[in-house]
Amino acid sequence: MLYVSQMQNRQVWDAWGNPVGRCVDVLVGAVERNFPPVKALQLHSDTPHNGDRFIPAACVSSLYPSITLNVPQDKCLAYTPIGDELYLLDRVLDRQIVDTEGRRVVRVNDLQLARVGDQYCLTGVDVGGRGLLRRLGLESLAQALARLLGSSWKTGVIPWEDVAPLHQEDPLRLRVSHDRIVQLPPADLAAILNELDHPTSAALMETFNNETLADALEESPADVQVSVLSRMEPERAADILEEMDPDEAADLLADLPEQTSEQLLSLMEDDEAAEVRSLLVYPEDSAGGIMTTEFARAPIGLRAGELMDYLRRSESARDDEVMYYIYLEDENHRLCGVISLRDLVMAPPDADLAPWVNLDPVTVDPYTPQQEAAYKVAKYDLLAVPVVGPENRELLGIVTVDDAVDTVLPTAWKKRLPRFF
Amino acid sequence: MKPIRRIPTWLQRILFYASILGPGLITASADNDAPGIATYSMAGSTYGYRFLWLIVAITVGELVVQEMAARMGAVTGKGTADLIRERFGVRVTAFAMFCLLLANLGTTIAQFAGVAAGTELLGVSRYITVPLAALLVGFLVLRGSYERVEKVLLVLCLAALSYVATAIAVRPSWGAVLRQAVTPTFSSDPGYILAVLATIGTTISPWGIVYMQASVADKGVDMERFRFTRLDVMFGAAWGNIVSAFIIITTAATLFVHGIHVETAEQAAMALAPLAGAGARYLFTTGLLGASLLAASVLPLSTAYAICEAFGWERGLDHRSREAPFFYGLYMGIIVLSVLVVLIPGIPLFPIMWLSQSLNAILLPVLLVLVLKLVNSRRVMGDWVNRRWQNILAWILTGLIVLVTVMLLVSPVLN
Repeated sequence: MLYVSQMQNRQVWDAWGNPVGRCVDVLVGAVERNFPPVKALQLHSDTPHNGDRFIPAACVSSLYPSITLNVPQDKCLAYTPIGDELYLLDRVLDRQIVDTEGRRVVRVNDLQLARVGDQYCLTGVDVGGRGLLRRLGLESLAQALARLLGSSWKTGVIPWEDVAPLHQEDPLRLRVSHDRIVQLPPADLAAILNELDHPTSAALMETFNNETLADALEESPADVQVSVLSRMEPERAADILEEMDPDEAADLLADLPEQTSEQLLSLMEDDEAAEVRSLLVYPEDSAGGIMTTEFARAPIGLRAGELMDYLRRSESARDDEVMYYIYLEDENHRLCGVISLRDLVMAPPDADLAPWVNLDPVTVDPYTPQQEAAYKVAKYDLLAVPVVGPENRELLGIVTVDDAVDTVLPTAWKKRLPRFF
Repeated sequence: MKPIRRIPTWLQRILFYASILGPGLITASADNDAPGIATYSMAGSTYGYRFLWLIVAITVGELVVQEMAARMGAVTGKGTADLIRERFGVRVTAFAMFCLLLANLGTTIAQFAGVAAGTELLGVSRYITVPLAALLVGFLVLRGSYERVEKVLLVLCLAALSYVATAIAVRPSWGAVLRQAVTPTFSSDPGYILAVLATIGTTISPWGIVYMQASVADKGVDMERFRFTRLDVMFGAAWGNIVSAFIIITTAATLFVHGIHVETAEQAAMALAPLAGAGARYLFTTGLLGASLLAASVLPLSTAYAICEAFGWERGLDHRSREAPFFYGLYMGIIVLSVLVVLIPGIPLFPIMWLSQSLNAILLPVLLVLVLKLVNSRRVMGDWVNRRWQNILAWILTGLIVLVTVMLLVSPVLN
């Protein structure tokens, strides 16, 4: 296996055995491919009139154990970079990248090249301890030690296709990374964004669409949400808030300065803004503060088939992300009963639902502390608990189990250093 | 309806400024941690006012260095270790991180020595208090309840202010104080040179640079708001060094005049006797404990973080220990090793506290040279590279530290 660290600053010889210069960088093209081919070597020679120049890969006969050209140096036409090359030593080695398989941010200790067909290609990224030791010149020593101890020595090489390099200054290449990163689950995406430095994560977020970003933000700690949103164009910030769950959006807006949040609310679509505003009324750690207003509701008294038809046409049901239960209400929107989706599906279409409806469901009011709501969810083994008005039992929203247990198990652990370390 | 969970705008504004002001003040207050108090007490009691000019000079140096670190954090959003690795590769990084680890390990040992010295002053054995302090620190940081306790510890650190009060109470000859503050003196005596290095190393430390840059980067301060951070850095450096100067003045006016050269915490505490009488040892212990626990919580964590950042290992308290073995291993290792060193029977606590700071200063140029190269690189800093005068001052500082270190090595030959 050939590694770029073994080429770094190595003398390059031409076909007659004359020194041409030292290899200071390796340029690969077509980085979106799984095996980007080496396009050229950047050479530096100490003689002043030569300076830096690029030798095309076609002139190179071998890279290891020594770098030699297949022509005399004056027969080799210089390569002109066309702008889409990736400079491996300058831009990738020692930098942070995202390992999309391992879903984490890692540092590039070395880069692996291999001969594929008639050209050299970039095949993998060494992020393991072996790469570090190689750079320190201790690889053979460590290998001997490992052999002595009888243990096999793992390499930490990730294939290039599972890697997303991060170049904030380079929008074109960021696109490739984006395609590989957006497929990650939102929670991992959020963790990666939090791990990166601010400029890089901001550049990466520029490439995300609103929905992806909203999902990732929901999984992020409050201070990250605030810093991301306050750096954004207000129009885009409002669009992203619309994509978020209303309860999450309300929490975020509550953390922003009043003028900013008012401005964002006015930029949001009216019904979305109204929903968020209604949630802003309640304290953040109350049932009202964590409830969602997007849940399946239906009038009481329908038969099973009718109720299913109703839900298919109902907007509230469409917005419900999980729909563990269907909440049944009277004409004044007062909660009358609850039926689980399971029971509804299992019931014959023309059956009267009365036997399956729980007419006296456990409820909380919007000012119930979050702890208490979590306690009820746990005690009664619920997946969601409805929030009703304290006097009239008007159905206001539901607290789902994941939001309720947030007090016990916060989704976003302290992502960064303690403020003061 | 008006939402009720809002914070009033004026309060938000204050909170905003408070959130920006901070790192500078904290690093500067950390000048007066246990090793800091030990260093200044030793210097003041042994050499009188002769170190005051050094404090003035160091203040300038600290301002320049900390501003550079903060600027790097704001421009790049990255940590010092991160930049060093990206720019200089693995070998240089490994060497720099080794120096940082060594310096921070020494300072952490000094913090636990501070706990030991402080509590033994009250008659409690260090074999009880030091392991207890280590458990407390580990528990607080790992359980995340550290931020609440931090404020209590910061308040305890205010005990250092009693030096200011004592200095005023004992009425030193202010004329002599001012004269010494502007008259550089030097001696080739190894003890004197070590004391000079300790005074430099406790004020401008490798971890101070790393901490400053990391916290500015972590806050996401950008260059538009950087003037607030710069103000914070300047205010913090000035403040920390004023307190340092008063520790020297107090110990010079109370101990030096009576020929007491501080070698134990007992003697150091006596400096506060004119103010607090018999309560001096309690006051001294309070300040020592607060500052030591504060720094002992912070130092191992920031060291582990920086090293893991440089080598790309999982880091941060959001990872579980199995996911980030190097991070937690380093963190625990630094604490355990420090505790063990302090518990070696008969080890002299007070000299450890200030000698660790000499080590800090000796290792500082490694980091300073790298930081200077980074902060002058247009590729890293864009238009925010150092001005010429900043470079001149920073190189003078680096050169002087190297010179003094060389003098230390050759002084046994000279004398």
